[in-house]
Amino acid sequence: METGEEFGPWLARQLKLAGKTQAELADELGLTRAAVSAWITGRSTPRPTVMADIAKALGTDLGTVHTRTTDTQAGLPVTWYHRPGYPDGGRELGNAAAFAFDADVQVLARETCQNSLDERLRENGRPVRVRYTLHELTGEHLDAFRDAIRWNDLFPHYQAVSELAAHQKVGRVVDAGVRDMYEKGRLVLLRIDDYNASGLIGDDYEDGKFAAVVRRQLESLKSGPSAGGSYGLGKATLWATSALGLVLINSTLSVPHEGRTERRLIGRLELPWRRVHGETFAGPAWFGRPDPDSKNGEVVRSWWADEETAARLHLTRDSDEPGTSFLIVGAHDVASLEGDGPDLDDQIVEEEGDEDTRDIKRMHTRLVQALGRDFWAAMTGGGGRLPLLEVSVRALRNDGEVVVEETKVDPSVEQPSRTRALRAFYEGTTVDRLTEAGQVAMRNVPLKLPVPGGAAGGTSGIHQAVLLVTEADGDKDRPINQVHSLRGNRMTVRKATVPRLPIGTNPFQAVLLAGAAAGDTAPFAEEAEQFLRAAEPPEHDRWGQTEELTLRWSPSAYRRIEGLTREVNNAVRELVARPKRTVREGGEALRKALTVKSRPKAKAPTGPVIPVLKNLDATIGAAGEWVIDAEVSIPRGDEIVPMVPVALMDVRSGGRPKLDWAELEGVEGCEVQEGVLRFTPGARRAVFRGVTDAGSHPVRTALTRLVVELRAGKGE
Amino acid sequence: MKIYPYKRLGRPIALRVTSVALELADGTREPLDTSAYSTQQQAVALGVAGHDWVSAVIGVSATLPPGADAEDAPWSDLRVLAVLTDGETNIRTSTALTRDTDDSRDWSGSLEIYRDDHLGRASLAAYAVATVDGVAGRSIAETDRSWTVDTVSDEPVAGLQLEVQKASFTKSSREWLRAYADAPWIVDTSARVPTVFVNSDVDGIVGLLDSSASGVESKVRDLLVAQMATDVWTAVFHGAIGDLEVEPGGTPVFPTDWQGEVLREMLPDVVPGVHVEEALRQVHRRRTGDAGWAELQTRIHYAAIRRAEASKALGYAIRSLEQANRESEK
Repeated sequence: METGEEFGPWLARQLKLAGKTQAELADELGLTRAAVSAWITGRSTPRPTVMADIAKALGTDLGTVHTRTTDTQAGLPVTWYHRPGYPDGGRELGNAAAFAFDADVQVLARETCQNSLDERLRENGRPVRVRYTLHELTGEHLDAFRDAIRWNDLFPHYQAVSELAAHQKVGRVVDAGVRDMYEKGRLVLLRIDDYNASGLIGDDYEDGKFAAVVRRQLESLKSGPSAGGSYGLGKATLWATSALGLVLINSTLSVPHEGRTERRLIGRLELPWRRVHGETFAGPAWFGRPDPDSKNGEVVRSWWADEETAARLHLTRDSDEPGTSFLIVGAHDVASLEGDGPDLDDQIVEEEGDEDTRDIKRMHTRLVQALGRDFWAAMTGGGGRLPLLEVSVRALRNDGEVVVEETKVDPSVEQPSRTRALRAFYEGTTVDRLTEAGQVAMRNVPLKLPVPGGAAGGTSGIHQAVLLVTEADGDKDRPINQVHSLRGNRMTVRKATVPRLPIGTNPFQAVLLAGAAAGDTAPFAEEAEQFLRAAEPPEHDRWGQTEELTLRWSPSAYRRIEGLTREVNNAVRELVARPKRTVREGGEALRKALTVKSRPKAKAPTGPVIPVLKNLDATIGAAGEWVIDAEVSIPRGDEIVPMVPVALMDVRSGGRPKLDWAELEGVEGCEVQEGVLRFTPGARRAVFRGVTDAGSHPVRTALTRLVVELRAGKGE
Repeated sequence: MKIYPYKRLGRPIALRVTSVALELADGTREPLDTSAYSTQQQAVALGVAGHDWVSAVIGVSATLPPGADAEDAPWSDLRVLAVLTDGETNIRTSTALTRDTDDSRDWSGSLEIYRDDHLGRASLAAYAVATVDGVAGRSIAETDRSWTVDTVSDEPVAGLQLEVQKASFTKSSREWLRAYADAPWIVDTSARVPTVFVNSDVDGIVGLLDSSASGVESKVRDLLVAQMATDVWTAVFHGAIGDLEVEPGGTPVFPTDWQGEVLREMLPDVVPGVHVEEALRQVHRRRTGDAGWAELQTRIHYAAIRRAEASKALGYAIRSLEQANRESEK
């Protein structure tokens, strides 16, 4: 049997939830208050017969009292708490943080996966496992889920927001979300689970990861110096991706809270200011158990749910491994409509008439793509080093009907050449210069770190970042000639094309490992890591001027990054491009002008048009003769040049022996006169048939290749 | 249009060069950087190390089109060969490739070529050969675009580059140049590759050609280059057309060396709207026949001027001049 927390604290909380005092319980049980107090402080435990009475007093069964894995349902039921409107009448028409992001599952993938990476449990050395599940609900499954989240209680709020729809963005999005659910009878859930991560630890209200995600906005809690700033601005993408502004959370904690770790549940709703039933509401709402300690006992807090409740809310986790599940209710992907970013133009877009932002297959494709592009390095291991991250994506419908099989994002498929490069670096098989296809060349490039706190020009140390360059892997490895830059968390921060490469340079891909990613032996890795971290904007997509950089170092500190970029581009050019020759005789311009290369062809003159051979079908006849059927296409024109069909034997070099015709006849659009094809005026297509004279063949026909040509004039 | 009397694969083989190494005169082996070849240009430049090498080893990998290993394929004994052909020296080197793994469509191997066997540019292709209808060694698929292996050039480019040399026409050891001492440049089409000699006795011409300045100077340089290029292309076209091998029926054979490359590019401008083979026949007929050669000169001149991009250079130069005039008026 599963054993829950200690009896004392558990009982104390149940009393609090039920709004009972110790004395009241003692009265009901016919015992002294001291006896109850002794249980709660852990000095004694009740006798088995008393257990039954306690269960009765708390309105639950004996099993729950014994196992203590969940709270009794005795107290106030799980419900919605909407933050009341501000007394000063202020209205917030949406969450400012969520406004910064459009609904884009690729941005969501980047932000959430980065959070999971930062919250990875480092002690055991294992990767954090992240799984994205797209789940479409229809029919009875949709109804059951709506019951579970108490949709009927929420509906008036959505209605109130819809009325505001015309006036502001969040209202319009929510209105469209609700309408889609009713009109199409479906709801898309996007669930993000991570395992082997810290989970939402900490108190419901005080500083901690739980409060950072559930209670606060813009707060960033960093688990380590290399973290990208977990649960900061980026968490807003969770709500931005939900057309209903609704996210449910189930977390298994790595550090027990209230003596428990499993199934800590809470929901949060982001709606704009609204008036419902004459009352005004500020915006956010929470789904949880009313906290008796709060004013009027109205505020809800996370609760420890039983397995059944978690299942009804689609929040069941695979194992008791710590980590968090976010369930985005009503997920949509507006960005998928934009024909996808500039580097995704080869993607197959399945148009199905109307443009659907809730197509789970398409979201699946876009998730795999974004995860592969941004996190290939974190998913790559080698040389005895485990990857930091494992990610999979799947798509389901209703009760486990598989739409897209669970796909593990494979870095060697998504980024074949870069993955090869990083693996070679981990395994120590890099080379100094590229002499064979498939090799990985390594160079050190310096990053001059400025002195913290001002003093322009000073250098506190030179960090040696690692540059890896390798050949691009076939035609699909696009865009080519790009450097992916990353630091300790192994997320691709910057993607930049190397400029000014000579024409004909072999396509390559490059990786820049800076800061903690450059390896344990790299000098000033820690300082570089912090410097680059500070140079990253909230989007984590480039390194450059930021306020933090200005404040901690100097206003010109970002120039050090420009210096690094310059060094990187030079090193890449050195590796992949031919060294600039000593000036050659005659100058570059003349040499270029004297190169034989294809130019656009000159315009054909007007005049008689020349028919060309379009199709040829040939077989060898019984006597060894070639029997041919040929189709000729004729350009539009008033006058058609008569043509002579010529049959030749193909040879490797020298003159080709000519074969004589035994028969030649026009079948369609032409007639033969003395071996010349004369075309019917106005015809666009002609067919003729011919048989060669086997006697003119110098070699056995089965061992020859036949060439048929149409020649103008006399056909010599 | 070409017809084979047996079944073949519909699609071409993809051929890639994967490494290049030189065997030097002192017996050592020097692997070249991958920038010695260009997969985009499909060209290998072996001239990077100068002339101090004896042979080169080129690593290649060929990918067969799907269907080569089909169960019901009408052929057996499939082999893949890399073949290097030199149209100038008529040397042909074949190397059998080996399949990377048992069920792979990739075949790889390395090709050894001797510097003494080649004068300049050779072409590298891959062939899949098999026994079809009981006849062994039939080619069932080839590369559609050959690689160019240049034993002289130090730049992997597909297009043939004509030679440029500067020389003092009065003092050069090439005594024949002295006869042209008053010409700023002269074209020699009898060399292995047509060569332009720039007369360094003409003051400033070398400096102008070498200059990388912008502004009016660069426009003047481009104009000069266009003028020289027009001369050169006219000369090489005549050089190429005047020296054709002729088939028994009197039809000219397409040359395989630089002449072929030049003709293939210029003929479509000289005789537009027909295949190059047909164009070559027409040009040859006019040159050797009774009439029409004089009329063709205009077309040849036109083809050369197009190739030299003379109108572009002229346009830029005029605009630049107008600008300079406007500025001086201010």
